[in-house]
Order: sequence, then C-alpha cells, then structure tokens
Amino acid sequence: MSEPMVERREPAGEDVSAPVYGLERYRHRPRGEERTAHVGMAIFLGSWAMLFIGLFFAYALVRTRAPLWPPLDAPPLPRLIPGLNTLAILASSAAMVRAVRSVELGRNRQGFQGLAAAAALGAVFLGLQALVWGSLWRAGLLPSSGTFGSVFYAFTVFHALHVAVGVGGLTWAAFRARRGAGRSAARLWSWYWHFVGVLWVALYATVFLA
Amino acid sequence: MINMQAEMEAAQPIHAPPTSFWRKYVFSIDHKVIAKQFLWAGLLFLFVGGVLAMLIRWQWAFPYREVPLLGGLLEGGRIGPATYQQIFTTHGLIMIFFAVTPVLIGTFGNLLIPLMIGARDMAFPKLNMYSFWTFVLSQLLVLASFLAPIGTAGAGWTSYAPLSTNVGTPGMGQTLVVAAIFVTGVASTMGAVNYITTVIRLRAPGMTWMRLPLTVWGLWLTAILNALFVPVLGSAALLLLLDRSFGTHFFMPAAVAARGGGDPILWQHLFWIFGHPEVYIMILPTFGILGDVLSFFARKPHHWYRGTVWALIVITVLSAMVYGHHMFVTGMSPLLGEGFMLFTLLISIPSMIVVLNWILTVWNGSIRFDTPMLFALGTVFLFGIGGLTGLYLGDISMDLYLHDTLFVVGHFHFTMAAGSLVGAFTGLYFWFPKMFGKRLDERLGKAHFWFTFLGLLLVFGGQLLAGYAGQQRRLFDPFQNPVYQGLAGLNRWTSFFAFALFAGQFFFIVNFFRTVFSKRIQPAGQNPWHVTTLEWTDSASPPPFHNFDRIPLVVRGPHEFSNPEVQRLTGRDFAGQAEVLPGQGEPAVSAGRA
Repeated sequence: MSEPMVERREPAGEDVSAPVYGLERYRHRPRGEERTAHVGMAIFLGSWAMLFIGLFFAYALVRTRAPLWPPLDAPPLPRLIPGLNTLAILASSAAMVRAVRSVELGRNRQGFQGLAAAAALGAVFLGLQALVWGSLWRAGLLPSSGTFGSVFYAFTVFHALHVAVGVGGLTWAAFRARRGAGRSAARLWSWYWHFVGVLWVALYATVFLA
Repeated sequence: MINMQAEMEAAQPIHAPPTSFWRKYVFSIDHKVIAKQFLWAGLLFLFVGGVLAMLIRWQWAFPYREVPLLGGLLEGGRIGPATYQQIFTTHGLIMIFFAVTPVLIGTFGNLLIPLMIGARDMAFPKLNMYSFWTFVLSQLLVLASFLAPIGTAGAGWTSYAPLSTNVGTPGMGQTLVVAAIFVTGVASTMGAVNYITTVIRLRAPGMTWMRLPLTVWGLWLTAILNALFVPVLGSAALLLLLDRSFGTHFFMPAAVAARGGGDPILWQHLFWIFGHPEVYIMILPTFGILGDVLSFFARKPHHWYRGTVWALIVITVLSAMVYGHHMFVTGMSPLLGEGFMLFTLLISIPSMIVVLNWILTVWNGSIRFDTPMLFALGTVFLFGIGGLTGLYLGDISMDLYLHDTLFVVGHFHFTMAAGSLVGAFTGLYFWFPKMFGKRLDERLGKAHFWFTFLGLLLVFGGQLLAGYAGQQRRLFDPFQNPVYQGLAGLNRWTSFFAFALFAGQFFFIVNFFRTVFSKRIQPAGQNPWHVTTLEWTDSASPPPFHNFDRIPLVVRGPHEFSNPEVQRLTGRDFAGQAEVLPGQGEPAVSAGRA
C-alpha cells in the first residue's frame, strides 16, 4: 500500500491549532496539499540545479582549455567585498532558518522580522555586487574581453538575478507572515533562498578564490 | 483502505466547473482542456514541420526546379542555398520541440496521468496552465523568427557552434529561435515537475507503483529525464544567447574571437548531455503506450510487466550516460569513446527486454485489429528498424564511416518520426474517444495507417540506403558531387514516397475534423475498447470536470484480461482496475496481480 496522502490526525482531544502544544510537535509536519507543494518544490530545485551544473560544466571546460587562467591582462578579481557578500548570504540564510521556525510556531512578528532581515541582507548583497561589477568594468574587464570576462559576468549576473527574485519573494512572504498567513510560503521560499546561497558559495570558491 | 479513500477525497474536493468562456477554454486549469490545447498547438506545428520536410524532399528530387504550390513564399519560386539551410534547420527544431514533444508529452501526459492514476487533476493545476502558455510563447518566438530580416535559424537543429554564433549565422532569426528553445525548455520543466509530483502524491488508494499502467510509467520516467536534462539545454541556450547578444566568448574559437577564445566543442557537450536523454524523452511515452495498447488489443496481460518496468527504469538511467556517442569524431579520447560505446550498446539489453515483452504479449493473443492496434504493431516494426540501425552508429568503427551521412538521418527518423510519432498516433486513435467522446472513423484510420506505415518505411529506408552508400546529409545539391550522381534516382523515388506519405496524412486531418465537429457521429460510450484502466472504467467519455465522482479504490493491476475466474463471475474477458467482482465483497485481497 502506498503511503497515505494525509497523515493520521493527532490523538483525539489535543487541539492542534492551539499556540502551545507538545514540544515534540514543535516542528510542523506538512500534510496534504502542503506536502505536495514541498515535493514539487524539491523536484523543481533539483531540476533548476541541473541548469547550474550545466553552467559549471561549461566553466570547467573553458577553464581547462584556456592556456592561462586568469589571463595576464585581466584585472585581479577583488576578494574582500565578495567575501563580505558570502558572509551576508550566510547570515541571511541563518535569519531565514529562524524566520521559518518562528512562522511555524505562530510567532508572526518574529517571523516577519526574520524574513525582512533575510530580504534586507539579500538587497545588501546586490548592492555590494553592483560595486564589484562597477569597479571591474572601470578596470577594463568586459564580457567581450575573452572567456574570463564572459564567465565572470555571465555567472555573477545570472546568480544575482536569482537573488533579486529571492528578495522579492522573501518580502512578499514577510508581509504574509505578519498577517499570520503563508506558513508554507515561508518554508518554500526558504528552500529557494538556501539554494541560491549554496550557489553563491560555490561561485565564490570557484570564480573568486580558486 | 476505505479510510484512505475518504482521506484522498478530502484532499481533492470537487470544485464547480468554470463557466466563463475564458476560464473554460482558454486560461483553463483543467488538465483535459490543457491536453487538448497542447494537441491543437502540436498538430498545427506538425503540419508546418511536414511542409518543410516536403520542401527538403523537393530539393533533393528536383534541385533548382521551381517549387509548386509554395513557390510564392520563396524567393524566385525556387529554394536557394540559404533558404534550404533554414528549411532543414526549422524542420528539425519544429518537429522535435514544437510538434512531437507537445503531442506526445503535453497531450498524453496531461490527459492520462491524472485519469490513469485516479486523481481529480494535476498536483499543480495553475502551473500546468502556465506551462502551456509558456509553450505558446516559445511557438510564437519561432513564428516571429521567420519574419526576421535575413531569415530564421540556419545552423541545423543541433545549432552547433561556431556556426550558430554571430559569425556563422548573423541576424535576429537564429537569436529568436535559441530564445524559443530556452522558453520551451522552461515550459517542459514546469510540466515535468507537475507530472512527477502528481504521480508521487496523487495516486488513488490501491494504485501501487507496480499497478500503474505502463503509459504512466513511460510518462513519469520521461518527466524525470525532462526535469534533469532540459535545464542543461537551457544552460547551453543561455550561453549561446549571451554570445550572440552580449558579446561573450563561450563558443567562439580563439581564431575568431578578438581576445581569448572559447570552445566550440563545449556546445556539443552541453547539447548532447541534453540531446541523448531527449531521444529517450521522446520514445519512453511511446514505449509505455505500446505496452498498454498491445496488451489491450491482444486481450492478454502484458508479458512480464515488472520486467518491462525495470527495463524502462534501466533505460532511463543508461540514457544519461551515453551522450558521447554523438561526438565520436570530435577528437574525443579513445578511452572515453569506448566507454560511451559500451554504455550505448548496453542499452540494447533493456530495450530488447521491452520489445520481446511486446512480442510475447501479442503472441497467441486474440488480436483485435482496430486502428490503434495497427498503429501499435507498426510502431513496433518501425522502431525495431530504428533500434537495430542504432547499433551500427553506436559502434565507433562503423560510426566513423557513417557519421553525418543520411544513414544517421534515416536512423533517427525511424526512432523519432516513426517510433515517437506513430506511437503518438497510436495513443491518439486509442484515447480519442476519451478526449472527444467519439471514435475516429475506422476506414479512414486504416487508410491513414497504411499510407503512414509504408510511407515511413520507404522514405527512411531510402535514406538508410543512400547513407550507407555514403551520401552526406544536409547538402543543398548532393548531386554536384560526382560520387553521388548515381544516387539521384534513389533520392527522387524517396521523395515520391515522401509526397505520398504527406498526402496520406490528409486522411487523418479529414478524419480528425469530421469526428470532432460532426454532430451525426454516435457517442463512443464510456469504454468502447473494453479495457481495464481507470479512465475507461470509472469515468465518462469525455470525463466530467472532476474526473471521478468518487475516487476509485484500485484492487488490481492494469492488464486483467482473459482471466477464467473473471469470465465466470462477470461474463466479460476483462476486469477494471477498481472493479469489485460479484460475490467477492470487501476487496481485502486484490483479485489479480499485475
């Protein structure tokens, strides 16, 4: 027999909707439609990850074929600001974890604060990223100046677009959380946000550091 | 069990059907309407792709001769070299991405997955709607590319770099087509996420994995391949778009790029990492449909159902590990090439399990030769030729000789045009009564079958012969080369057969429109083919908005035919998947096994 679509209800007499219930029930277990949404989101992120795997494959191939990486005439990539950005993304993911926990416990105000903080850190990330692009552009690194520039701009801009979508989504989820709605939205956006964060760490390690 | 049925009912309440025109027919979230939308969009482009194929055949039969009927659309009434390139490019792209994919996956995936697993709709009905309209956007991009100043895409359907970069194919047309590929990829991915989730979450109680109809297995595995590998094509299209529009240098070789070149082979890697799974994306739904239809019309249970399921799973896994066999001549390391060759040839083992199971299913059956069965048997034969010629190409030493000849073209048309498309026709004739409530005319259907079957056999057989003789593919005028001059007659005859094949499709067009719109044709009834799966046994034709008045409780596998016990109890030679046999009462134990 396949796994039941809807999990068994709580034992009779226990009010699930009450703000305080057993500590062991602290983590909300999704059921029904909510759980279906989680399955769908997991599959979607797995699928979307393949897009980035394709991009990283391209990067690896181009880089191994290049005679010199980075090329001699390319300006050195900064490490400090992107490093700060990595910290911002990590802090944002941490805020997200707290936010989801708060939303699931029904602490709407804390949930709103956590989500808003995560979104704000995402915006900070985008701002710093714009600084990096500006300085490198002025230093003469263009998308058309060889594969080095191509890889740098294609990857960072495509990733930044994902961050921008995430900032929008988190803001929306934050306002829903303040109204006490959108438990599922908060969790699904948190998965997306962690996904984008992990991508950035991989980008930072391969494009800026290595 | 009964409790679970109630829980599924609670999870999928019956909603009132939409009443406004727009919600009902245009921006519908009903999976059955979306299936029909994909069908119309796909068939329209199938016709366009077919016309383009006829133009190619005209060029090979009568080079430089004025084109009849369509000459007005071409410069000077003739096919010029640049136009010819655009014709074969868009023929391939349209057929694969915008005709066969929507008909095979869009139509049958949407129509059948919820109906066959006993669900009221897809897991994400709105996402389903977005998927269709995203797909329409990609079709519009392709149509727009024909209006671009110097014409549409001309770099071949594979869009190999650097031919597909601005250096090889300048102009807006190629850019629009690459964008269309990206957008259709997004639509496919949305659909795939939906299909996978639906099968995981919304199977009716009792519909275990090993009771799923093979069609659902085929579509589900297809969706997994889609979800995994279409995004890789997306990454390639994205990089190509950047190269074309923003001056990056991913695919431009160093000799062409101003500073620091990229790698043209990169495109081939990314393209074929997607491209090889893609051919299985296009054939797995057909495998599933054939598995069911052959059993239904042979009135026998599918032979070794579990073997077929596991073989399909193994094919799915292996298909991701063979893409390098498209690149044997790119200077790939021989060790790597041999690895790819090994995996390629290994796929023939599960494929043979599938094909032998089809043959053993039909063996000694009481076969009913209705049109769907004819198409199914035809598919087995044509796909068989396609599969066997694949062995030649998977072998490195043979491939070095046959690479880029018409042999390759014949091979992949036997698998994709004959296998996938005729498989889609099988499904279309079979599920037409479920979609539109009426059966297609048998006589026109059979005429369509013989024209299609013999036409495909002769056209692509002719290509195999010409290719084996060494004729290169994609040549504008092959007979300029003295070596090929002796093949002109073969090419001309192949073209005549192609025209007959095309003409034979009008039987289908007439049949289709007459049956859909005629008021005089009798309704087919709920289960005209006397088969076992849920969409026939537990839902009307066409099904109501909510599919099932009550979510069915599945008690047995999908192919319960000619069971003497069932015959004794019901007087019929089949038992529905959710049917409780008289005298058996509460179905604590399933009455039959898959």
